[in-house]
Amino acid sequence: MDSTPLVSSYCNGIDSTPLVSSYCNGGLSEKIIIDTDPGIDDSMAIMMAFQTPNVEILGLTTTFGNVSTKDATRNALLLCEIAGRPDVPVAEGSSEPLKGGEPEIQDFIHGSDGLGNLHLPPPKLNKLQKSASEFLVDKVSEYPGEVSILALGPLTNLALAIKRDSTFVKKVKRVVVLGGAFFALGNINPAAEANIYGDPEAADIVFTSGANIDVIGINITTQVKMSDDDLDELRRSKGKHAQFICNCSKFYRDWHVKSDGVYGVFLHDPVCFVALVRPDLFMFKKGVVRVETQGLCVGHTLMDQGLKRWNSDNPWTGYSPVSVAWTVNVEKVLKYIKSVLMKP
Amino acid sequence: MGEPKKIIIDTDPGIDDAMAIFLALRSPEITVIGLTTIYGNVYTTLATRNALHLLEVAERTDIPVAEGSHVSYMVHLLPFPLPSCTCYLIYFRFTKKNIFLLSFSPCVKKATKLRVADFVHGVDGLGNQNFPQPKSKPIEKSAAEYLVEQANLHPGEITVVALGPLTNIALAIQLDPTFTKNIGQIVLLGGAFAVNGNVNPAAEANIFGDPEAADIVFTSGADVLAVGINVTHQVIMKDSELEIMAESEGIFSKYLCKILDYYFSYHRDAYSMKGVYLHDPTALLAAVNPKLMTYTEGVVRVQTSGITRGLTLFFNKQKRFHEATEWNNKPTVKVAVTVDAPAVVKLVMDRLMTS
Repeated sequence: MDSTPLVSSYCNGIDSTPLVSSYCNGGLSEKIIIDTDPGIDDSMAIMMAFQTPNVEILGLTTTFGNVSTKDATRNALLLCEIAGRPDVPVAEGSSEPLKGGEPEIQDFIHGSDGLGNLHLPPPKLNKLQKSASEFLVDKVSEYPGEVSILALGPLTNLALAIKRDSTFVKKVKRVVVLGGAFFALGNINPAAEANIYGDPEAADIVFTSGANIDVIGINITTQVKMSDDDLDELRRSKGKHAQFICNCSKFYRDWHVKSDGVYGVFLHDPVCFVALVRPDLFMFKKGVVRVETQGLCVGHTLMDQGLKRWNSDNPWTGYSPVSVAWTVNVEKVLKYIKSVLMKP
Repeated sequence: MGEPKKIIIDTDPGIDDAMAIFLALRSPEITVIGLTTIYGNVYTTLATRNALHLLEVAERTDIPVAEGSHVSYMVHLLPFPLPSCTCYLIYFRFTKKNIFLLSFSPCVKKATKLRVADFVHGVDGLGNQNFPQPKSKPIEKSAAEYLVEQANLHPGEITVVALGPLTNIALAIQLDPTFTKNIGQIVLLGGAFAVNGNVNPAAEANIFGDPEAADIVFTSGADVLAVGINVTHQVIMKDSELEIMAESEGIFSKYLCKILDYYFSYHRDAYSMKGVYLHDPTALLAAVNPKLMTYTEGVVRVQTSGITRGLTLFFNKQKRFHEATEWNNKPTVKVAVTVDAPAVVKLVMDRLMTS
C-alpha cells in the first residue's frame, strides 16, 4: 500500500476533475452549514464565510466547546445580526457529548461569553425549533450531494445526524473538520486536541462513517498565526467586521501569550474555513483515522498512514480512509484570511 | 578509553537480537556481564535457549543468562503466584501465529494475550535453522533478581540494554525500589514517537508486549534513553550489504547470514523493501556510542487501554496546559530523534565481519 499524497479540489465533488475556476470563492456556489461553538476564532471563520461571495450559508448549528451550547446559540444569533444576515437560521445542537455529562468549557480562552468578554446585549433573533442534527439531516436531504459542512467544534451533532439518518453520509457532499493532532501534541493535554477531546465517541463515529471527510488538525492550524502586527493592520483596515473581530481577539491574544508564548493568535477555525473554500492551499494524505475513547490518551486521533501491511486485523482495518491535512501553504492562507477579513 | 561500560542485555532473540548480542561482544567500549531473557520475538523459554545457544556460538559461555518473566507485568500482580494457583483458569493455546496466555480471574478480567512475533523471526526465533539444543544452563536467579543484584553490586555502573518488552525491568523496580537509583542507565528499544507503530498503527511491538511495564519504566525516574522505531526505521541494512557480509569469513557474519534470510523475506512482505531494519543493533549502539544519535528530553507515558493500547506519548514540557495532565510531575527521559544511519550500518557491518 502506498499513500499517495492527495492534492485535489473537493469543491466539485469527490470524483470529478479539479477545476481551478470552480473554487468556491470564484465560480460555482457552495452550500455550507457551519457547526460551531463561537468562540473567537469561530467568529472570525463565520464572518469570513459571510464575506465570501458564492458561499451560501444554509444555516449555523451550535455545539458546546469554547462555550456552552446555549451560549453558542446566543453568539451564533449575535453574529448573524452583526453581519446583517438575520435570514440565516441557527439550529441549536446537543448540550453534552454522546456519553453524557457536563462538557468542559474553555472560558479561559474565549472569555465567559465566548466573545472575549465583550458582553454584548442579547440577540433579537430566535433559534429554530429544529435541533442541529435534524437541521443537518433535512438540509442534506433537501440538496443531496450539494451541502458541505464546516465542523468547528466537537462532533456530537454530526454523529447524531449520522445516527438519525443512515443515508446522511452518502448525501453530504463533504465534511471539513477542525480537530485532532496528527503526530503532534494536543492542546488539552499532550495526547488530545480540544474538539476531539470534547466528544471522542462522536469523533470516532464521524471519522469511521465513510463520509467524504477532510480533517484539519492543530498540527496544521498552529502553523498559521496572526501576529500582533497583523492584528494592528486588521484594526487599521476598513474590513467590514475588523473592529468587532479585533475587539473580541484581545482576550484570546492574551491567553496565547500565557499558554504558548505566542504574541498573536492561532487561526484554527479560519484556517479550516480556508480548507473548505481553497483546498488547493493544502496537501492532504489519506488514511483511516480512529479516536481513542479510553484511558490517559482519550481523545487522541490516530491515523494509519498505510506504510505497512499488517500481519493481522487491527482496529483500523476495514474503515474508509479520510483526508488528513498534511501540509499548508502558510503564507498564502494567512494572506487569504487577512484579505477576506479586511474586505470592506 | 576508560574502563569498558558494564552491560546487561535484556533480550528476546530474535534475529536482530542475535546481531545486537554479537555486536556487543565485538564492541571494546563495553563488557557484556550478563543476558536476561524475555518473551517477544519468541516466548521466554525459547529466548533463554536461544541466548544460551548464541553464547555457545560466540564461545562466551562464561556470560551468565538469567531467565526472565514468562508473563506480562500485570499477571504478576495476581494475589497468588501463578503456577501453584488452581483457582484461576489458565491455559496456553498454541497456534500458528501466536501463543496465547489466557488468564481469567477476579482481578484480571480481560484475557491477557501474549503476542509473539514468530512470523518475523521464525518459529525458533532464529530463522528456522533448527540449531542444536545448548548444553549450558541459565542461572538459578530470575532476570529481575539478577538485575537487582548486579545493580546493587555495581551501583551507577551498569547499563541495561532492553531489547524486548519491559516486564523484567518493571519487576526489578518492584522488587527493589532503589533499582532506579542504582542502575546506571536503561537504554531501551521501544516506542513509536510521532510515527505509526509496527504491531498496529498505534503501537510498537516491545511496548505493546507489556504496556503497563513500559509505563512503569518510563515514569520510574531511572536514567532512561528510548530508541523508538521512528529512529530504527532509518537504519536499514540493504540486501547488497548482506551480500558483502556473506563474503566475510567471520564466524558471526557467517552465522548471521544463515538466519537473516527469514528476516529479509518478512521485510519484503510487510514493508515491500529490499533490506531489513536494524532495530536491536541500533539500540545497542546507543549504549556503545551515544553520539551516533541526537536526543530530546521529556515525559513519556504509555496508553494501557483502548484501541491505542501500547501507544507511547511524548511530551516535551514546552506548552503550559490549563489543567494538570497525566504527564505532569513525572520524571523525564531521553528519546532518540535523529541517527547517523550510515555510520550505524557501517559500524554493525565492520564489527560483525571481523573474525
